[in-house]
Amino acid sequence: MKKPYEEIKLQGESFYLLPQRAMYRPSKKQLILSDIHLGKAGHFRKQGIALPMQSHLKDIDTLQFLLKLWHPSTVLILGDLFHSTYNKEWLLFKSLLTGFEQIRFVLVEGNHDILDKEEYLLPNLSTVKVVEDSKFIFSHHQLPDPQKLNISGHVHPGIQLFGIAKQSIRLPCFYSGKTHFILPAFGHLTGIHLLEREDESDYYLIVEDGIVRL
Amino acid sequence: MCIATDWFKLKKWKPFAFQKATWKAIAEGKSGLLNSPTGSGKTYAIWFGIIESYYKQFNKKKKPKDSGLHCLWITPLRALSKEILLSAQQVSKDMELDYKIALRTGDTTSTERTKQRKKSPHALITTPESIHVLLASKDYDKFFAGLEFIIVDEWHELMGSKRGVQVELAISRLKALNPDLKIWAISATIGNLEEAKEILLGNKTENSVTIKTDLEKVIIIETLYPDVVEKYSWVGHLGIQLLPKIIPIIDASNTTLVFVNVRSQAEIWYQRLLEEAPHLAGVIALHHGSLADSTRKWVEEHLHKGSLKAVICTSSLDLGVDFHSVDSVIQIGSPKGIARFMQRAGRSGHHPGAVSKIYFVPTNSLEIIEGSAIRYAIQENLLESRIPYVRSFDVLIQYMVTLAVSDGFKAEALFEEVKSTHCFESITWEEFTWCLDFITTGGNSLKAYDEYHKVVLVDGLYKVTNRAIAQRHRLSIGTIVSDSMMHVKFMGGKKIGLVEENFISRLKPGDVFWFGGKNLELKLVRDMEARVKISNKKSGKVPAWLGGRLPLSYQLSNSIRKQLDDYKNGDIHNEELRQLGPLLDLQSKVSHLPDKNELLIEQFKTREGYHLCVYPFEGRFVHEGMGSLLAYRIGLLEPFTFSIAMNDYGFELLSDKKIDVDLISDNNLFSPEFMYEDTLKSMNSIELANRKFRDIATIAGLIFTGYPGHQKKTRHLQASSHLFFKVFRDYEKENLLLRQSFAEIHDFQLEINRMQNAFDRISKQKLVVTYPDKPTPFSFPILVDTLREKFSNESIQTRIDKILNSVQK
Repeated sequence: MKKPYEEIKLQGESFYLLPQRAMYRPSKKQLILSDIHLGKAGHFRKQGIALPMQSHLKDIDTLQFLLKLWHPSTVLILGDLFHSTYNKEWLLFKSLLTGFEQIRFVLVEGNHDILDKEEYLLPNLSTVKVVEDSKFIFSHHQLPDPQKLNISGHVHPGIQLFGIAKQSIRLPCFYSGKTHFILPAFGHLTGIHLLEREDESDYYLIVEDGIVRL
Repeated sequence: MCIATDWFKLKKWKPFAFQKATWKAIAEGKSGLLNSPTGSGKTYAIWFGIIESYYKQFNKKKKPKDSGLHCLWITPLRALSKEILLSAQQVSKDMELDYKIALRTGDTTSTERTKQRKKSPHALITTPESIHVLLASKDYDKFFAGLEFIIVDEWHELMGSKRGVQVELAISRLKALNPDLKIWAISATIGNLEEAKEILLGNKTENSVTIKTDLEKVIIIETLYPDVVEKYSWVGHLGIQLLPKIIPIIDASNTTLVFVNVRSQAEIWYQRLLEEAPHLAGVIALHHGSLADSTRKWVEEHLHKGSLKAVICTSSLDLGVDFHSVDSVIQIGSPKGIARFMQRAGRSGHHPGAVSKIYFVPTNSLEIIEGSAIRYAIQENLLESRIPYVRSFDVLIQYMVTLAVSDGFKAEALFEEVKSTHCFESITWEEFTWCLDFITTGGNSLKAYDEYHKVVLVDGLYKVTNRAIAQRHRLSIGTIVSDSMMHVKFMGGKKIGLVEENFISRLKPGDVFWFGGKNLELKLVRDMEARVKISNKKSGKVPAWLGGRLPLSYQLSNSIRKQLDDYKNGDIHNEELRQLGPLLDLQSKVSHLPDKNELLIEQFKTREGYHLCVYPFEGRFVHEGMGSLLAYRIGLLEPFTFSIAMNDYGFELLSDKKIDVDLISDNNLFSPEFMYEDTLKSMNSIELANRKFRDIATIAGLIFTGYPGHQKKTRHLQASSHLFFKVFRDYEKENLLLRQSFAEIHDFQLEINRMQNAFDRISKQKLVVTYPDKPTPFSFPILVDTLREKFSNESIQTRIDKILNSVQK
């Protein structure tokens, strides 16, 4: 049966996996997400390839919806907030931040986050390389041989399922392995990277508005 | 007729009746259509008419200082323009005429162009695109002021494409400048010759003539059979097993053209032929659309000289100049259409009265039936019609900007001109103003972006005032949209040809692939270029170019059904049917052989799931539409997920649960009623329209494909057109370009009229259902096809549950 979220335990702690491709950590009131790729549309536009603006409001709307639903105190973004350089979507995102000034936004920098440092100067936004606490280490890329469970993004994980009669279906997923946990990409303009399935790992598929454990 | 008769006397030739008839019609000031195959002297039939008309007005003594451009000769191919130029110049030279002829194509240098504009030649041989480029230059009206003739060569080729629309629009403009313009079409035989004439001539059709050549061309077809038909493959499109059979033909002929259907097949056949017949090394060549121009020119020159034994080619050599040394033609695989087959056959034995010999090589055993079908069709003179494009708003938008770039246009006057064309005869003023709005403000969805405000209204004239926009537009004129390709070059810079980006991106430096008849090692990839060197290593990789899966034509599919019916009734009237006997008997034994009043349906189960195969014999496009339509209708009764496969003979619905076949007849699922509406609803058409939309968006100038040498990547263009499509669908359903993408899918992809006919026919047929134990000769080729469509109206949740269940079992 579908639930609005799926509760799982990581290192004994509860996390809620959300079908909006994000994760909530109730003990710290943290909303965790990755790879929004804001401004992908704008980036194409600069290359002379025009994309209409409407297509990109969706991610910001979804984020706003989650902020109102879960009332987090911190939003942890695991990199690739922006697709590339300065763009209009960034202004929209800024105004969203200003609207939720009680929430602290922490950006773990990713390979696409190449804005001027000054642009990040907002009272409730900070940027870091990694975030570490007693049980977890959060980063954009997967870290080699982490000492603690490494929670990251970057990969845009997905799974392809094959059934009989040549049926197949591709879905984004959360990957949960022994040493690494990977979030799906939050942005809807992003593609997915298909993972090879490992027996000892868990995969949580995003199926429309629910989560299905494989 | 003094010039013509003198020249023929000089050459010691006798003019044909059709040539004399054409001269006479032109002298009487008529427009018309000349129906004539290549190599019959059609160029002279028209050319002398033009020359005579010119010298009637300006005789050799009192000639004007500069009479300006007198004749435009439009051809679809650059290679063809060269040939016409040479013939025409020869006449001027032989007869010491001062009538000057020049070429203007995409290859013409800018110095040459400027020279032509300053002092124009009397005749210009050119392409549809080049005329639009001329219409995009300032004071084009003066350039065309003295124009008396427009000749459209190979009109049957142009008519079935958007280049035909370009020709129609250009003529509407030139007619407005010169009301006395005479228009002549030259066309090979097609099913709708009279319509072809009306489309080109428009209001000049009245009083026009249609002249047919009186030359009967004899075509001899010989099918090559495997030694034992029962052992020949049931599937496949390559046909390489029969390669040893063509070597003696090549050896015994002067020059052989070997036609294949796709480029990768040409590469493979060339490679294997070299291996099997090493004595042919150096005297065989490869010719297809992705090879560098210089390579193709080299091959064509050597064909002219007669120094090649064989050329493996694709449709790239369908059209164009005659090669006199060619005396054999081989067609590998389904010819797909009768006209196309005859055109290919006609590449041998050119001189009037000669016999054209063509060998047909089936690539799987069932395909032998096409040899029989094509014989029958040629004998019955069944020829395909060319369907013209109508309401191509993308081309209209491009044309409007073209005129705005040069001298500007007035809305009302242009509306009348455009409405006079066949393509836009149904355009309303509202639709026209929608296009105006689109080029001036970007329309409803794109108002916010100034890059779509291309045209401005100045004193009642629509004009482009921004030089950058004008420059970009001139570079984008044209209606042929191809995938962005990667140039393959040697380290020294010599071009080899073009390969899909996608193919190269899967290779690493050091990998070896076969292209242009050579083993090449990839050295490095930079921008849109792949640098390679010759390699001695063997490689199995051959680039596959997308597209190229043509459907079987309506006429040819009809003929195939006729052959099956004949066989069933014991009328075995040719060798093909005799050879096919064992296979058809097997089909009859394990399932059923349908006659003309029956529709065969086979149902069986394999490890893969439940198969339902239906054989309408209507060509793959119609089967694609029928397949998804049937899937949709079954889905209305009960949620289902299908994988759909098709070939030219039938289609298959594959599912994980059994379809109750009685449902199909009880609920009349093949009913022609609501066919159009249901097709729209079957998901397929949205996805297809989405793909089609990229071409439309590019032609209409929504997407700029890049400056020469800085092409944008296909994947970026695709992403961008995909988003436009989505936004228009979400916010601007009435967008004409969006609607056009659906209309084009219906007319050309799903062939909706043909589908309607097929449904009408099926509704009168008896459904014969069989339950064979295993795949049959009919079904096997479809089952192994990997190119599949999907249909599902089950929720993702249900599908996943089922998939997970099946995995756990």
